[in-house]
Amino acid sequence: MPLLKLENVTKRFGGLTAVNHVSLEIDHGEFIGIVGPNGSGKTTLFNVISGVYFPEEGSVIFDDLDITLLPPYKRAPLGIGRTFQIPRPFGSASVRENIAVGAMFGTLSGKVSVDESLQIADQTIERVRLQEHRDKPAGTLTPVEKKLMEIARALAMKPKLLLMDEAMAGMHPNDIDQMVAFIKQIAVEEKIAIVSMVEHIMRAVVGMAEKVIVLHQGSKIVDAPTKEALEDPKVVEVYLGHPPEE
Amino acid sequence: MKKEITKYYPLIPVFAAYLLLFLIGRNISGMWQLVAMLLFYCALGQAFNIFLGMTGYVDFGYVAFMGIGTYGMALAITKLAHIEGLGIGIIIIGFILALLMSTLLSVAVGAVALRLRGAYFAIATIGVNEGFRFLIEGARIWNGSEGLIFTAQLNEILGREAASSLMTYWADIMVLIIAALAAFVTLYYMRSKIGYALTALREDEDAAKVMGINVTKYKIIAFITSACFAGLVGATSWALKTPYVFPPEVFEIHYTIEAIIIVLLGGAGTLLGPVAGGLIYGISKYYLAIFMPGFQLLIFAPIIIIIIVLFPEGVVGMLKYRLKDSALARFII
Repeated sequence: MPLLKLENVTKRFGGLTAVNHVSLEIDHGEFIGIVGPNGSGKTTLFNVISGVYFPEEGSVIFDDLDITLLPPYKRAPLGIGRTFQIPRPFGSASVRENIAVGAMFGTLSGKVSVDESLQIADQTIERVRLQEHRDKPAGTLTPVEKKLMEIARALAMKPKLLLMDEAMAGMHPNDIDQMVAFIKQIAVEEKIAIVSMVEHIMRAVVGMAEKVIVLHQGSKIVDAPTKEALEDPKVVEVYLGHPPEE
Repeated sequence: MKKEITKYYPLIPVFAAYLLLFLIGRNISGMWQLVAMLLFYCALGQAFNIFLGMTGYVDFGYVAFMGIGTYGMALAITKLAHIEGLGIGIIIIGFILALLMSTLLSVAVGAVALRLRGAYFAIATIGVNEGFRFLIEGARIWNGSEGLIFTAQLNEILGREAASSLMTYWADIMVLIIAALAAFVTLYYMRSKIGYALTALREDEDAAKVMGINVTKYKIIAFITSACFAGLVGATSWALKTPYVFPPEVFEIHYTIEAIIIVLLGGAGTLLGPVAGGLIYGISKYYLAIFMPGFQLLIFAPIIIIIIVLFPEGVVGMLKYRLKDSALARFII
């Protein structure tokens, strides 16, 4: 049984079809890259999965539960965490408090107390190595630190599925390699399925994803193991423009 | 257990300020009037801060909750005055009615207006306040625009002397208690899940939703709490202190603006902010009117602008930042 299953999902904005009859399956602990140029419907697809938008057609099944029309705040506790393309910290709150919010509201029991949440936050902060920034307002972090904080915030929710929107965008190549290694490590340790959305940093996709789904103008055009997918002539044509280098 | 107590340290400066006000009013002759006004502004700020400060939503119709609270107390006194032997109990009934009515109004307004955000929410709430006032006047509810006057009933129930000391002294003490209570609830919220949820939704509502926060629920909690305190302030400051109520006076948007200024001057979302804001606002307003009658607003406006420009986070927001590594930090939030 797959962890997440999208069946024929379509999302339109007026006359624009942002996601067009997309079906896909993601298994427990799987690492998937969603690739596609700007405007291909990646973020909309994420928003449909996390509940920001409801699709016009099709259904979203998570953990055997139909969540197509479930409001976002009820999805998070089921185990869907996400990070944003442009980090969205709760700026005035400290890093610790930001992460505690994840533990407090994002877990299924809903019974994690404030003190327990702060403890979980402290443990999670160590994992992403943000100890020295613990009590700083999250708004004052650097972009890379904000991304780490968002990952920590999502991890504190104990997700089964983590949606990462352009986690590597704007990063130095060295940072990307570190980040990739880190994400891979937590995915294995915590058995989290990770869906990472990438526009153009192939280095990150090749480095971590087992499978790649390529979107083009809202439709899924390729769904295959990474290497195969990136060498697919359709992908090369609509997206890369030239064959990827080995 | 000790940890539980240290959590409430930030109440110390708040309560110290109220105690100081009380002592000044009691011991320096001629000061009680100023102290009463300051207590009113602090209570107003403290009550409004629970919504405005903690959620970041600007409610321009806030005074409506004070107005409805005033009516709650006025109705209890006018309608129940004929019952023998109620005595002081009638005031308790008045408070309960004020709470009930402000809760009902806030649920009704919140259920509709809290679906809107930003400027749209603000505009909708202005409409609520004005609409409610015209409804009372136009439909002649609760005596319409003639209002309710209940000095006679108060005198009758409590006796002339007790009624007069209620109006000139005990009503102000009740405002002080309400302000202190509002401060306590504010801190309690800050330290609980409610506070974390409110901070999250104030900073980024969409991100808060996907983090599992039922933002509507928490907004409504803050809205109702804040409205209840407004109702209590109205019931004391307006109904018990001056035993009459006229719609244009208790639905005057001017008070909402004052409340917004107080919260922003002091520091929105901080515990001590409304006290600092209330004191700065009240003292400047009072003395400017004495020393520069006629020009007070001309001077007052630039003072407010200067403070807001210098300390965009409010006076307490600035203090909190300056003192964050000192021993005082745990007293100021």
